[in-house]
Amino acid sequence: MTGAASPDRHYAGALPRPVAVAFAYGGAALISILFLYPFWWMLLGAFRSAEAVLTAPLRLWPETLDWRGFASLASVGGISIWRYVVNSVVITLASTAVGVMITGLGAYAIVRRPDLPGFGLLRAGFLLAMMYPYMLLVIPAYIVMFKLGLLGSYAGLILFLALGPLQFFLFEQFFRTIPREVIEAATIDGAGEFQIFRRIVLPMAMPIVATVTIITFLLNWAQWFPVMVVSRGPETFTLPVALINLSGELGVNFQGIMALASATTIPVVIVFLTAQKRVMQGMADGAVKG
Amino acid sequence: VSARWRTVGVFYLFALPFAALTIVFGLWPIALSVITSFTESSTALRTDPVYVGLANYTAVLADPVFHASLWRTTLYTLLSVLANLAFALGVALLLHSPLIGYGKTFFKVAIFLPVVTPDVAGYAVWRWLYDQSFGAINAALALLAMPRFGGIAAQSTAMLALLVAELWHHAGFYVVIFLANLAILDRAVEEAAEIDGATPRQKLWHVILPQLRPSLVVNGVYAIIQFLKTFTVVVVMTKGGPADSTNFVSYYAWQMFDQGRYGEATAMATVLFAIVAVVAMTAYRFGQRGERT
Repeated sequence: MTGAASPDRHYAGALPRPVAVAFAYGGAALISILFLYPFWWMLLGAFRSAEAVLTAPLRLWPETLDWRGFASLASVGGISIWRYVVNSVVITLASTAVGVMITGLGAYAIVRRPDLPGFGLLRAGFLLAMMYPYMLLVIPAYIVMFKLGLLGSYAGLILFLALGPLQFFLFEQFFRTIPREVIEAATIDGAGEFQIFRRIVLPMAMPIVATVTIITFLLNWAQWFPVMVVSRGPETFTLPVALINLSGELGVNFQGIMALASATTIPVVIVFLTAQKRVMQGMADGAVKG
Repeated sequence: VSARWRTVGVFYLFALPFAALTIVFGLWPIALSVITSFTESSTALRTDPVYVGLANYTAVLADPVFHASLWRTTLYTLLSVLANLAFALGVALLLHSPLIGYGKTFFKVAIFLPVVTPDVAGYAVWRWLYDQSFGAINAALALLAMPRFGGIAAQSTAMLALLVAELWHHAGFYVVIFLANLAILDRAVEEAAEIDGATPRQKLWHVILPQLRPSLVVNGVYAIIQFLKTFTVVVVMTKGGPADSTNFVSYYAWQMFDQGRYGEATAMATVLFAIVAVVAMTAYRFGQRGERT
């Protein structure tokens, strides 16, 4: 809420102030309601039978809490929903941990010693890979996975999801702000590069590590296309992929789709709400750099 | 030598996993994709593919469906970029205005929430919001005594339907970037303009917008890349239909690949990449040049 009500920002419009305030709040509230409504409609759809939705699509409160939507998810595509949940959690957490570590170290090396042979090329290569249309990169990645024997494996999925441009930019931007003098002072004290990293850089970097971790978690949770393509079968599918499959099935299970969409959405909404400031700030910073 | 290696070696050690992933899952697939685009589709996955030179490219560039798809993608990108930036700028200016005090964070969070919502889930919901019998949208229009909206079921409205759903998913991101830029505006210039008796409209055009150039460039480049690559929304909501009306280039290329036409699919991928790269660079340069003057 910084600066929201700061006294130096005064209003100088044509309308009387209270009228203008009413319009401003009315507009902001209307937009917010329109943006939040799909979430509410999704939850209602998960807890109301398809017939109920068909008769009264706009009803704002469920007649009764109908759990049949969630019950119908017991098995999606012949596999237990819990398998998808576990896959989502494992693949997202692992790819986030691996990605944050690898990207952080890589960005640090590139920022500290851009003069070393190969580092400039590495950065350019990374940017090129990130600019390539993702859905089209996934296709040849399938062939690469096949050649490496990683097709359909958790390791392949986790490693493929590990890198992302936003993460790299956030780290790069942060490491550039570390003053040279801090590191030079430690060098004079006889600290080796590894010690400098562990004792000085890492503690300073903890806030940015936290930001990148949360953002990577949110982004990777939503990934579906690589997971679908690089999997051999539904055994390694995550919740979004299960949702794609359920939507594509014949004989539409409307309530089930809404229930699965809710199950896919709720975890990230909770994570986001607990760290909303960090996430919005981080995403803006990462984008402005790129 | 060993002391020097100790300092330099650490950095190579740090960069090694990053380089490995970049090469294995970035550069190698891209190279493979480009190589495949020069091979005959039915032999593309064999160890000894038959190379056909530029045949796939000439086939793709001569394909009327590809032309239509490329034109459609361009139109969609143009409309989406304009709609998203205009909407996001409006919302950002509203939330930044001194009229909004308490509740600003709530509004910001509400508009940003769809950004972190998995796109598949969001679009699955929108697909049903547009539904002609289940959907809340037509029910609401009926309630307001307004004409029905064809949504994704009609050729004439499918693109608009996707645009709205994608705006819901992406706009919050652009809003946050505009707000970050607005937060560092030079208050002194604004106040000087007020003292000189500038109207709110004059202030917007001559004081605020010029200072928003950095975020306009960032958002513009991002949005162009974003919408040129539009894919997920098509898969979830329309599968390119009805009657190809939402068959954008990414989706068309994916369909080709799915049918085993690897050569044409990868040729199309390379063409799309070239377009994305050129457009993004041009937009970026354009923005940079403007900044210096």
